[in-house]
Amino acid sequence: MSPVARTFFDIVPYVLAFAVAALLPRRQGAAERAGLGAVAVFAVLIVKGLWPSGLPDTPNPAGEWKHLLDVIVFLPLLGAVLVLFLPRQSPAVLRRFTYGILGLDFLASLGLLAVPMTKGWHFQHVEAWIPAFGIRYHVAVDGLSLWLILLTTLTTPIAVHVSFGSIKTRIKDLCFAYLMLHGAMLGAFVSLDLFLFFLFWELMLVPMIVMIGIWGGVEKIKAAYKFFLYTMTGSMLMLAAILYLVYQHQKLAGYPSFDYLALSRLVLPSWAAWACFVGFGLAFAIKVPMFPFHTWLPDAHVQAPTGGSIVLAAVLLKLGTYGYIRFCMGMFGGVAWAAAPTLGAVAVCGGILYGALVAWKQDDVKRLVAYSSVAHMGFVMLGLFAGNQAGVTGSILQMLNHGVSTGALFLLVGVIYDRRHTRLVREFGGIAKVMPVYAALFVIVTMSSVGVPGTNGFVGEFMVIMGTFTSSTLASRSAETVRNFAVQQGSIAAFGVVLAAVYMLSVTQKIFFGPLTNEKNRRLNDVNVRETLALAPLIALIFVIGLFPNIFLSRMNETTESLIQRYRDARAAYQARPADADPELAPRRGGPLEIGYPEDPGEKAQPAPAGGTEAMNAPRPAGGAP
Amino acid sequence: MNALLPAAPILFVAVSALLLMLAEAFGSPATGTAGEVGLDVGAGRAGELALGAAVILFGGAIVSVGLWWAGTPGEASTAALAPYLVMDRFTLFFCFTLCVGGGLSALLAGGYLPEHGLDRGEFFPLILFSTVGAMALAAAGDLLTLFVALETMSLGVYCMIGLRRGSSRATEAALKYFLLGSFAAALMLFGGALLYGATGHTDLVGIGRALGPLLGGSGGNLALALMGLALMLVGLMFKVSAVPFHMWTPDAYEGAPTPTTSFMAVAVKSAAFAVLLRVLMTAFGDERLASWGAGWPPVLSVLALVSMTVANLIAGRQQSVKRMLAYSSIAHAGYALVGIVAAARRPELAASVLYYMLAYTVSTAGAFGALVLAGSRGAEAVSYADLAGIGKRHPPAALAFSLFLLSLAGVPPTAGFFGKLYVFSALVDASAESTWLKVLVVVGLLNSVIGAYYYLRVLVFMYMREPEPGAPIAKPMRSGYVTFALALAAILVVAIGLLPGTSLEVARAAALTGP
Repeated sequence: MSPVARTFFDIVPYVLAFAVAALLPRRQGAAERAGLGAVAVFAVLIVKGLWPSGLPDTPNPAGEWKHLLDVIVFLPLLGAVLVLFLPRQSPAVLRRFTYGILGLDFLASLGLLAVPMTKGWHFQHVEAWIPAFGIRYHVAVDGLSLWLILLTTLTTPIAVHVSFGSIKTRIKDLCFAYLMLHGAMLGAFVSLDLFLFFLFWELMLVPMIVMIGIWGGVEKIKAAYKFFLYTMTGSMLMLAAILYLVYQHQKLAGYPSFDYLALSRLVLPSWAAWACFVGFGLAFAIKVPMFPFHTWLPDAHVQAPTGGSIVLAAVLLKLGTYGYIRFCMGMFGGVAWAAAPTLGAVAVCGGILYGALVAWKQDDVKRLVAYSSVAHMGFVMLGLFAGNQAGVTGSILQMLNHGVSTGALFLLVGVIYDRRHTRLVREFGGIAKVMPVYAALFVIVTMSSVGVPGTNGFVGEFMVIMGTFTSSTLASRSAETVRNFAVQQGSIAAFGVVLAAVYMLSVTQKIFFGPLTNEKNRRLNDVNVRETLALAPLIALIFVIGLFPNIFLSRMNETTESLIQRYRDARAAYQARPADADPELAPRRGGPLEIGYPEDPGEKAQPAPAGGTEAMNAPRPAGGAP
Repeated sequence: MNALLPAAPILFVAVSALLLMLAEAFGSPATGTAGEVGLDVGAGRAGELALGAAVILFGGAIVSVGLWWAGTPGEASTAALAPYLVMDRFTLFFCFTLCVGGGLSALLAGGYLPEHGLDRGEFFPLILFSTVGAMALAAAGDLLTLFVALETMSLGVYCMIGLRRGSSRATEAALKYFLLGSFAAALMLFGGALLYGATGHTDLVGIGRALGPLLGGSGGNLALALMGLALMLVGLMFKVSAVPFHMWTPDAYEGAPTPTTSFMAVAVKSAAFAVLLRVLMTAFGDERLASWGAGWPPVLSVLALVSMTVANLIAGRQQSVKRMLAYSSIAHAGYALVGIVAAARRPELAASVLYYMLAYTVSTAGAFGALVLAGSRGAEAVSYADLAGIGKRHPPAALAFSLFLLSLAGVPPTAGFFGKLYVFSALVDASAESTWLKVLVVVGLLNSVIGAYYYLRVLVFMYMREPEPGAPIAKPMRSGYVTFALALAAILVVAIGLLPGTSLEVARAAALTGP
């Protein structure tokens, strides 16, 4: 390229930025346009000047476009920024734009299914970002995050569709909030760098409280505060744990790194491992939510608008369980194993039983569904604490199931709220006569939530309970009473299924069946086109997952195997180590689980120090077997 | 001439300030204001003067950057200035930060002063001379220079606070700051005098060297030196507005016109941190004084903890946004003090304080700027109720304010978040054998949550509440200067937060050569 052409292409971004910024406003004078143009040029200058330089390419298996995850995550975020420039007065334009972006995102996420999810990371993309801290832009997907991403990209358009039906004011803010939330949730699922994960984790909170606080119910502001401050407390403790891990890694390996792959090599002394486990675990326990950190959930769910509740239940809660598997079990497997029986008991009694019993007593249907969420997430966490193939796979499947069925439940509750502007059970009764299709759909989703065979709930719950019964992690530690505790947990969990049937069928009976007592219910409209369109994919999924679960399980199996293998290795190491041993760096595993490992930046610069004690040259396993 | 080149940023701003002052004094008042009795010649020209002041200050920032790239000045050229002014990279970093903060405040004044009936020109030479004093304070290598620079900076600020001559609140604020500031300066002088008596030096390097042998033994001179350290610390803590030396801050910030508040929160605080770092690391950097057992670090860590917690708790109870921002700046001083505690263990960790000051400068200037934008024509936006519903009435102002508040709260992906991450990771680095410091990390991070509450409150009022029917509400102003300043600050907040690579390198280089 000739020098002239090169200079031209160098200057073009600045000229373009100046032109766009100067021509965009409609009423400003020349001086103000010049000022805006100058600001735009300054922005381009800053971005170009500060942009970090690239790393050598990470090898990806063939057929995996490394930018797919970037598109999936940043398309909604870019869309959110663009929405700010769309006219506020044309809600139709805003709505179509949002549908378009979310639709494109869903199609892009379907591209993730093109590749079989073998062991290891797929669609990986690594870029340098802040080398001084060892922070990289590192995204990848595996069998665990694959389905959660698809759940997200399916649920958000449904929630948006429902929201546009009932929310008519401040559409621009609504679109901005949804797009930003969508992008942030997806980013949290795919980040393998702890700084990037934390960034998306915190970024999710702001659009959520905006949604709750602007379009929420009567006590929306109190619910918004509670949600934000509760979740942020957990996040700050997680940040403290992250900073400690990074510091230890720097001390042991000689170079800083925020990367998940690098930090999972750390083997900490007992007190430090427990402290970090508590830091991460608390953040995730608040998000899941696990008893006793669940008190924000009923308020947030009840006060949020319908679409917000759908997204909150279907996706945000899964971030807690995803985080637990990825970080607590992945990085602190030994401590997770030691804590599993206690946490399992909390999940069973505090989650499944308590959630179900409190749900039974609720008079507000939405609050009932919120507590049923607590109960269902208790099942999910129990499967994780069981720590075997059936338990963990069942738990991941149950995450999907919960997203589908509870999302559908909140949608259905929203239908009734739209009709009557009340959610109290006693206001209804016998409305199956007036809204037959709605009643049928509600009963189907109830069956799914309860776990009737043929629906998705059955497969997930069955696998979780089976995993609990056969779990060696949950079994009592003493030899004589082997498996006793696991059997107890399993039995109580199975009883929890019965309780779920009790409260769900009870509320179904009270709302739909029996005599039509309230005159106001006589002329209610059945589900309209918008609501049916929103429910259809969820209902379809209920049966698809229930009847053909292998479509989903087959893509999770290898990942779950490798997760459980690591968990078992960590448990063995934890049992073998003395409690007060010094922190050390485990040897690298190698293999497909370590593609994208952050290499020491100093290694290329100078040759390895002779006889150096730096652990960065930790002995690799002979033969490099995974 | 060559000898003065290292001091180019300070000289540039000082000389240009003199020229601006002459232009303001000998120019004619704007058309339409002539004939009004008692008006000075700067009346009606706040806009142009603001532009001039901003150009001068941003020019000073560019001169600092240029000097940085030109390389560290040679021995011969710095010898003429040393030990009075130390123009190393540490100083250049702070000159840049101070000029950016001052420039943003000057632009805010260009929009605020005409709108609120304070359209007088003497504000701008005052802000320029205060910035000169602030830069000299960051460069001070000698106790005498420190005092002169401190007073230069402060006297200008006292006048800027009291700009609204008829307002009793402003006069009260100015008088409070003046009296307490003079008191603190007197304490610092007393401490300096004791240090001179104990060590025979007034330059910080000399004091540091002379304290070494003193610390080994005991006796009268050591007692004098330690008392001098304590008194200097008191004076510096006052300037930094750490609890319990913070009592002047809320009243002074609330009574002053908002651009002055912005300048105080940004430039005065940054300069105070610069001089605090330099004094502690150079004069009192001896291992025995900076040791955990018997030195200043434990004192500073307790002050940091108390500042963060007390300020965050009180800020949550405020009804006035301006006062809340004052308490928030006290809390941020606490976070930055945490960074200094870390630097006591390992000097290169002082880079966290430098980066934090830069991030804090752009975020706070933006927050006060958004507050300026939200009010107009005599009806200033001061209380939460004034801001109710702005999210609907004037979305750009609300969005700008939200961005800066989220940066102050420490929500990613802003500069404020990265600043907090850096400071607390520095503390974790320094907390190797100390349980108290580990506790401080956790308590400090939890303080962010307490802080998030009152930042969130503004968001709640802006987006989720409607104004009471019939209540006076603030209407946002239309001002090119304020919009430009906000755009600049917003770009810097997001850019430094998302792509901090260069700023981190710069901060590290500055901290290494520095105190």
